Amino acid sequence: MLPTVKINSYQFLVLSILFSIGTSILIVPSALATNSKQDAWIAAIIGTGIGLLIVWLYTKMGLWFPNLTFVQMNETLFGKWVGKAFSFLFVCMTLLYTAILLYNSGAFLNTHGMSSTPMAATNILMAIILVMAVRLGIETIARSAEIFIGVFFLLFIILVVFIAPQIQFENIQPVFDVDIKSLAQSSLTLIVVSSVNAVSLLMIFPAFINKPKSAQKSFFIGNLIAGLVIIIITLLCILILGADLTARQMFPGYGLAKMINVGNFINRVEAIMGTLWIISLYFKMVLYFYASVYGLAQILNLKDYRPLTYPLGMIVIVLSLVIYPNVMYQKKFETTTGLYFSLTIGLLLPLLMVGVYAIRKKQLKKDAISS
Amino acid sequence: MLKSVGILLVAAVILFIEVPPLLEKKYKKELIVFSILLAFGVGLGIAYSFGKSIPNPIDLLTFIFKPLHDAITR
Repeated sequence: MLPTVKINSYQFLVLSILFSIGTSILIVPSALATNSKQDAWIAAIIGTGIGLLIVWLYTKMGLWFPNLTFVQMNETLFGKWVGKAFSFLFVCMTLLYTAILLYNSGAFLNTHGMSSTPMAATNILMAIILVMAVRLGIETIARSAEIFIGVFFLLFIILVVFIAPQIQFENIQPVFDVDIKSLAQSSLTLIVVSSVNAVSLLMIFPAFINKPKSAQKSFFIGNLIAGLVIIIITLLCILILGADLTARQMFPGYGLAKMINVGNFINRVEAIMGTLWIISLYFKMVLYFYASVYGLAQILNLKDYRPLTYPLGMIVIVLSLVIYPNVMYQKKFETTTGLYFSLTIGLLLPLLMVGVYAIRKKQLKKDAISS
Repeated sequence: MLKSVGILLVAAVILFIEVPPLLEKKYKKELIVFSILLAFGVGLGIAYSFGKSIPNPIDLLTFIFKPLHDAITR
C-alpha cells in the first residue's frame, strides 16, 4: 500500500486557501473585467458564492468514504474498469493544468522579470522545486505552506494599504450597468478557476487528514477567504486601473502593484509583490502535480508514487513549452474548452457519483460491514 | 544536438537515482511504469529540442468539446 501521512485541519485550511487563490489573483480580474466591465466585482461576489456551494458538495462527498482518495472513490462507486477510466481522465486534467500553471509562471517571469531568459530555463527551475516538493510528500508541502501563508498575507495587506490612496471612485460608476448574461459568463470563469478545479483537493481531503470532520469546515472557510482575497483584488483593480485597462492587461494584479506610490518615496515595489503570485502559483501547481502523480500511482496500484515524479516532471516541462503557441490561443482555451473540460471533470463527474452513491448506498454499506 | 545530449544526461542521472532502490525492493511494476514514462518524457524532450512540432493535447480537447460549444453559443 502507498505510505500514509496525515496533516491536520489547519494545514488543510492553508492549502485550500493557497489553492483557491492560485492563479485567480493574477489572471482572473482581467477575465472578469472583459465581460462585465466596471461591475467585475459583482461577478466576483457571485462567483465566490456559487463556488462555495460546489465546495460544499465536495466536502459532503469526501465524508462518505473518510479513508479513500478521489481515485479510490471512483473505483468503489463505478467498479474497477469504468472507475479507472474516469480516474485517468482526472489525472490527465491535473497533469494538463500543472503544465498550464508552469507555463503561467514562466510567462509571468518572462514578461515582467527576466525578459531575455528563455522560458525553458525558468520552467525547468520551477519544475525542479515542484518535483522536489512532491517527492518529499504532502506533510512537507503542508508545513511549508503554513510558513508561506504568513508571508503571503503580510505582502497582501501591504499591497492593499499602500495602494488605497490611489482609489478613484469614478472608475466604478455606473454600478449595475451590466446585463445578466455577461455577468453569468464572467462569474463562471471564477467559479471554474477557484472552486471547480478544487476537485483536485479531494485527493488529499478525506484520506490524508487526521480529523476529516473539522477539515470539512476548513475546506469551506479556505475557499471563502480565497474568495474574499479575489474580490478585494478585483475591486482594487477596477477602482484604480479602471475597467478598460484591467481587461486589456495580461496580469492586472501586477499592473496594480506598479501603481503604488507613497509620497514619491515608496514606488516601483512590484517585484516584491510578484512574490505573492509566485507563492500562490507554486502551491497550486504542487497540489495539481501531487494529485496527478498520486492518482496515477493509485490507478496502477503501485506501492510507491515517488518513482513517477521525475519522468512526469520531464513530461510536464515539455508540455508547458508547447501548450500555448500564443496568447490568443491561451485566451480562447481559457474561455471555452478549458471551462467545459473542468466542468466535466469537476462538476459532472461528482454529480454522477452522487447519483450512483444514492442508488448503491445500501449495497456499499453491506460490503463495508462484511469486509 | 547539444540539447538532446543534455536531456539524455538528465535521464541517466534520473535512472541512477531511481533504479537501484526499486531493484533492491523488487518493485517490478513500478520499474515498468517508470521506464515507460521516462522513455516517453525523453522522447518528447528530444523531439522538442530538434524543433519537431509536438501534438498539443489542447487541440484534441478543443476537437472533443467543439460540438458542445457550438450547441451552447448558437
